[in-house]
Amino acid sequence: MSAQPDGPMLVAEDVRRSFEGMHAVDGVSLDVPRGEITGLIGPNGAGKSTFLAVLAGTLPASGGRITFDGEDITRVPAYARARRGLVRTFQLPSEFAKLTVLENLLVAAPRHRGDSLLGALMGKRYWIADEKRLVEEARGLLHRFGMSAKESDYAGMMSGGQKRLIEIMRALMLHPRCLLLDEPMSGVHPRVIEEIQHYLRALRAEGLTIVMVEHELHLVEQLCDSVFVMAQGKLIGSGTMASLRRQREIVDAYLVG
Amino acid sequence: MNTYYAANLLIFAGVDIIACIALNLQFGVSGIVNFSFIVFQAAGAYAAAVLSMPPDTAADYSFQIYVGGYQLPFPLPWIGGAVVGGLLAIPIGIVVLRKLRSDYQAIALLVTSIIANTVITNARPFLNGAAGLALVPQPFQDQIDTATDTYQYVYIGLTAVAVAIVWFVAARIVNSPFGRSLRAMRDHELAATAIGKNPVALKMTIFIVGGAIAGLSGAILVGFLQVWAPSTWLYPETIILFAAVIVGGRGNNLGAILGALLVPVGFEEVTRLLIRLNIGPPNLIPALEWVLIGLFILGFLWFRPEGVRPEPRRVFEGSPEPEVERVRAA
Repeated sequence: MSAQPDGPMLVAEDVRRSFEGMHAVDGVSLDVPRGEITGLIGPNGAGKSTFLAVLAGTLPASGGRITFDGEDITRVPAYARARRGLVRTFQLPSEFAKLTVLENLLVAAPRHRGDSLLGALMGKRYWIADEKRLVEEARGLLHRFGMSAKESDYAGMMSGGQKRLIEIMRALMLHPRCLLLDEPMSGVHPRVIEEIQHYLRALRAEGLTIVMVEHELHLVEQLCDSVFVMAQGKLIGSGTMASLRRQREIVDAYLVG
Repeated sequence: MNTYYAANLLIFAGVDIIACIALNLQFGVSGIVNFSFIVFQAAGAYAAAVLSMPPDTAADYSFQIYVGGYQLPFPLPWIGGAVVGGLLAIPIGIVVLRKLRSDYQAIALLVTSIIANTVITNARPFLNGAAGLALVPQPFQDQIDTATDTYQYVYIGLTAVAVAIVWFVAARIVNSPFGRSLRAMRDHELAATAIGKNPVALKMTIFIVGGAIAGLSGAILVGFLQVWAPSTWLYPETIILFAAVIVGGRGNNLGAILGALLVPVGFEEVTRLLIRLNIGPPNLIPALEWVLIGLFILGFLWFRPEGVRPEPRRVFEGSPEPEVERVRAA
């Protein structure tokens, strides 16, 4: 099947993931629309993060099928999905602590001539052109995300909010077609939350597809075009946040208690 | 200081420097806790030995049993040592590096080291068992009299060339985008996977490169000592090299060199001097050496975990000064 320009970006069909008999994700099917921000909500332990990890491949699926931009990627390993443009971030800070902020971005660049043993042994002259181009690109992102002054600092020294931004910029260095964000705004200062929201809207405006697990419903309401609700490993509803608030069982399962 | 003593010191230093650079690539740069490192040095030494020795049926060699015996001229035994060290990394890497979590990798590699030593000690027909190999030919021994000062200088020169080549290779790896990927994997393996790095491929690559360099170090050592036995590569030897890399500075090639000079070479020399003082029972000083090495590792991990020469910060052309430093300076 070839990619359809207006079809869904990501399709999950009966996706399952179990841990020793416990069904963390229990047959979830959904379509992620292209060019939108899609929210994934649900109570603690609903399986949202596990589902996101299965989509990204960092956890293999126990069953079902995942299609990314028309291609079946169910058996594609995580690193290869990232190279194809399906890039995830993490709920906990996951910066490369002993790399500088700029290096955190550069390391994510795909198809760098110096990023193989042979390329490295060929010496600097072989890969310096790629490096210079990527430094410019990374500096452009740092400028856009207001972190230019920090480029030489170790990423491990940054604040929680700055680490979030580093992770998003790092993902963007891969030129992704779809970003999977796992609670990108948890534990972040309210002012930085506003910044992140602003950046995500700007990325959507550029046509990027974003899937986002988020706990704060008002953020989901402000950002997401459509929302999927999970509980106990299953999909229990979908729609806009406003329409979900009117559905009785979803309110019972999640929104109230 | 006579020439033999100096040659001994310099060649051991060269071998330890090469070994520490290799271990730094694996442990300091890539985060692989290779507790079986010494096995790769041993493999290179055995390989170089049987490549340069005549068959065990030869007149002077019939008191030992071993495989091979190809009488290859220099530099083939050294190259063979490196190749065997690299090849050995493939099966061990496939078993250990693919599925296990990194702390279990360390344990599995330590066990590998003990198993390898036990097997070689007891399987006599393979590499002459516990007695080990003796009368290993030296490079150019047909051309130059090995009992002369000149030969000592030649061997020092050959070792220095090997150190230079290894340094060159390691520097190119560490300072390249490939080295950056290795460091990223070390810092956060899952995040590295999420940005398109294949951690198994990265680890296997550097395990093989490190294995080959370790093999070369063993080949150099056996060509000089002319003997090689299981008692020379017990697993604590690996711990000494870890101490060197930690003390010198993880992730820094220069630190690896410094660590090699401080720990394996320095401790040997200090012990040698102290033994002459005749304090306490005869084994006291060598035993204290181990205590000291342990304390050295602990002390550095506690007070200066980055080592004497920390990993350098990569600052790019046109980069601003790191902000943290600016704030501290103000």
